Amino acid sequence: MIARNIAISLALVVALSACSSGNDEAPGLPSVIASSMKSAIAAKRAGRADPVTVTPKMLAETKVAALQVNPERAGGSDFLRRIAQRRDSDGMVTEVWQSSDNAQIFLRNGVLVGTRGVGTDIISSDARATVRAVSTGTSGRGNRLYVLSDGDVTSQDVAFRCVTDNLGLQDIVIVNQVFETILLRESCIGGPSGDVTIRNDFWVHAQSGLVKKSRQWAGPASGYFEMILLKD
Amino acid sequence: MIRKRTNRVTGAVALLGVTLAPLSTHAQDPAQMFEMRDRPTLNFYGSPGIVDMPSGEALPDGQFTVGVSHFGGITRNTLTFQATPRISASFRYNGIQDWNSNGFGTYRDRSFDVRFLLHRETRSLPALTLGLQDFAGTGIYAGEYVAATKNFSLRRVPGTIKATGGLGWGRLGSSGAIGAPFGEDRPGFVVGDTGGEPGFDQWFRGDAAPFAGVEWQVNDKLGLKAEYSSDAYLPETRRGVFTRKSRFNFGAEYQVSDAVRLGAYYLYGSELGVNVQVQLNPDRPVSPLRLPAPRPYDIRPSRNANPQAYAADWAVSTEAASTAVRDALIPLLEAEGLTLIEARSTARETEVRFSNERYAASSVAIGRVARAMALVLPASVEVFRIVPVENDLAQSAVVLRRSDLERLELSPDATDALLARTRFDEATPDLAGGAFNEALYPDFAWSIGPYLAPSYFDPDEPVRADVGVKLKLNYKPAPGWVVSGEVRQRLFGNVGDSSRLGQSALPPVRTDGIQYAREGKTALNNLYVSRQWKAGEDVYARVSAGYLERMYGGLSAELLWKPVASRLALGAEANYVKQRDFDQRLGFRDYSVATGHASAYYEFSGGYTGQLDVGRYLAGDYGATVTLEREFDNGWKVGGFFTLTDVSAEEFGEGSFDKGIKLEIPLNWFLGTPDKRTVGTTIRPIQRDGGARVSVPGRLYEQVRSGHRQALEGNWSGVWE
Repeated sequence: MIARNIAISLALVVALSACSSGNDEAPGLPSVIASSMKSAIAAKRAGRADPVTVTPKMLAETKVAALQVNPERAGGSDFLRRIAQRRDSDGMVTEVWQSSDNAQIFLRNGVLVGTRGVGTDIISSDARATVRAVSTGTSGRGNRLYVLSDGDVTSQDVAFRCVTDNLGLQDIVIVNQVFETILLRESCIGGPSGDVTIRNDFWVHAQSGLVKKSRQWAGPASGYFEMILLKD
Repeated sequence: MIRKRTNRVTGAVALLGVTLAPLSTHAQDPAQMFEMRDRPTLNFYGSPGIVDMPSGEALPDGQFTVGVSHFGGITRNTLTFQATPRISASFRYNGIQDWNSNGFGTYRDRSFDVRFLLHRETRSLPALTLGLQDFAGTGIYAGEYVAATKNFSLRRVPGTIKATGGLGWGRLGSSGAIGAPFGEDRPGFVVGDTGGEPGFDQWFRGDAAPFAGVEWQVNDKLGLKAEYSSDAYLPETRRGVFTRKSRFNFGAEYQVSDAVRLGAYYLYGSELGVNVQVQLNPDRPVSPLRLPAPRPYDIRPSRNANPQAYAADWAVSTEAASTAVRDALIPLLEAEGLTLIEARSTARETEVRFSNERYAASSVAIGRVARAMALVLPASVEVFRIVPVENDLAQSAVVLRRSDLERLELSPDATDALLARTRFDEATPDLAGGAFNEALYPDFAWSIGPYLAPSYFDPDEPVRADVGVKLKLNYKPAPGWVVSGEVRQRLFGNVGDSSRLGQSALPPVRTDGIQYAREGKTALNNLYVSRQWKAGEDVYARVSAGYLERMYGGLSAELLWKPVASRLALGAEANYVKQRDFDQRLGFRDYSVATGHASAYYEFSGGYTGQLDVGRYLAGDYGATVTLEREFDNGWKVGGFFTLTDVSAEEFGEGSFDKGIKLEIPLNWFLGTPDKRTVGTTIRPIQRDGGARVSVPGRLYEQVRSGHRQALEGNWSGVWE
């Protein structure tokens, strides 16, 4: 009898949980932990998708600027739209590209200098030396500074020493087009304990100076993104 | 607020002279760049240590650990917090089976430890820690120690080796003693003593004995431990709790995940043991928060290219301009989970007052309001005054220049550069000439849901709880006014089953709790009317009346002085309350009291906060409460408090004086989605009647502070997120 009462009461508690006109009720700690574990397990089960291969037909139908991003760690592909463009006093252009799931990437002359909505975002990055090397297609060296979100609305400044090397000409294929590019490789070492390494690769179109393809670091939780400029 | 924005340029600078070979043999994956390496493991007391003995290392700063260990009928549950880089504190609840004294089959006790890191490990010298174990309890685990630990790696052996040696007193000096360097005389625990006070006259007295141990971390997952213990376990072996046949303990541990480590052990030549170690760091969220990307700032055309865009004729009448701005902003703020309360605009400056129900960090909300303003406001508006409002109290005015926002959004140094150009002003109590959002009042809200009311540390049943359904109603007839009530229906539970009714030399102002649990099956938890308002630019006021909490009803008035940029706040609260009937309906008992406090609050640097309350407590006793907390920028709070009043330790009873620990964790730290709510608890080793306070809903300080300068600066990068 008592057991039955308890069972009914429990069912009632579960049925009544989180019912309100607003959203100001704090749930109990156990339910919070349970739901965060559930989402972690679901994320693990989901598995990784392969990057999308763009066909010539898809490319031909693309009428606006489009950037394909293949996150290496998360898997899959997304196609980003350019939603803002800023020209600075020094003539460099910073672009904001928006994904289908409300995330953004900031590219300064093709160099990734910020992310939003990705999680543990790059709030900002001082990449002057890299931008200079990429836009002139020459080797160089300098500091690279990141302000990285910790994922709790606090941030840390992280510094790297970088060298950018010109690795020579390389032809790349994007969908059905061949581009003659210069491959620039930025190698960085630094971070909180001074022993973290990052490597960014840029394939710069010899003719237009545009970064046609790149593989760049997008923050500690996101890892590397491969980015292909399908249409400028 | 903790400043986590540390400039880690040193590591890179040190490498300047080194040839840039990008992939050195020790190169680290950037995914692990913020992971904590080399943190110590925990012993059976939930402290850094070997098996049962402590070690000389400290946990990483801010680390919060939970340890649950069991061997030979002894269970210890320990919370440890590394409060500063060198000081840690532990709270422990333990049970010893077959103790058979003082009327308890299983003896349960609470204890506090504190550890000081005297020296951090260097290349040649070990880490050195001084520890006081169970320094203020009834003293069953009382022991002091100094321990030294050094890490090695050997050429032919994989992994790392940690070697520890130390000297213990008290319990830790009871086996293999080498003499009493600081005097023989160590007074023991007196039966019937109330406990709870620091045992100054015991520390480092009596016999001292050496202990030692090694820990071999074979690889990332597996660790092996062996130690020589200096604890004779005299009280336990005398009572037959277990038989101690050896001084040596051995164990193997496995790191299950970044947070969890499990161990299995063979202790004292006779017992098998297990130890579950959980280590969290408030700075490392379980699920990193992922906010949807904000709208890029809408940039105005340049004045040269389009001078007519800067025309001011749209704002000839402030009233018409304010109304237009209000109407344009209401839906944009709503889309961000924010509520526009009031707007006022001239051609050059716009002030927006808003409330935030979504983001734990006010800075995120401020950034999103600014973006909405940039979208709708004509180009002539250059100054944005953004005022976060919490329960109708305007917290501060964050003054931003629109041209700074446009220029810095994508710049390399966006966060610091904007902070340097932002002003934090006082917000006026009212916005004269503003256009008010008429749809906000009257407002009615309700919620129905389960509740859990736990009760800890009953010696017969350490964890008791009542579970039921609660209905909350909230009515706001006008700005600042609230009528609020909560009804609870208990469905089942056992808090009222406790046989340990309070016996108190004082009026039973809190020890009657069990009676309330027994009789309040259907209870009016609270029902009150409250009004709060800004009495000046820096002064906040509140008056409440009604059934304030489940045990008391009456009147309460509070005044708080807290300038926007000040680390100091001062407050005063006066209450006249009457004890409610046990059934928690509308009636009252005979006991009434005038109680109140003068309070000083201070935000120290590094995120440490202090509060001092001086006044009269519920039982009519006079005294003061000291609260120290460490508050992380992301909202984690860990702290402790104690109250000393003119009630003597004998009158107070067990524990001698009121004390406890507080913990508060923001929900988004677990969930990874925007959420303003927190989960928290206050744990008292024992609830008595001395130093007790009435729990008044809606105290001002925490309502005001989240929009003030210290809090906003700690999360400033959120303006761009």
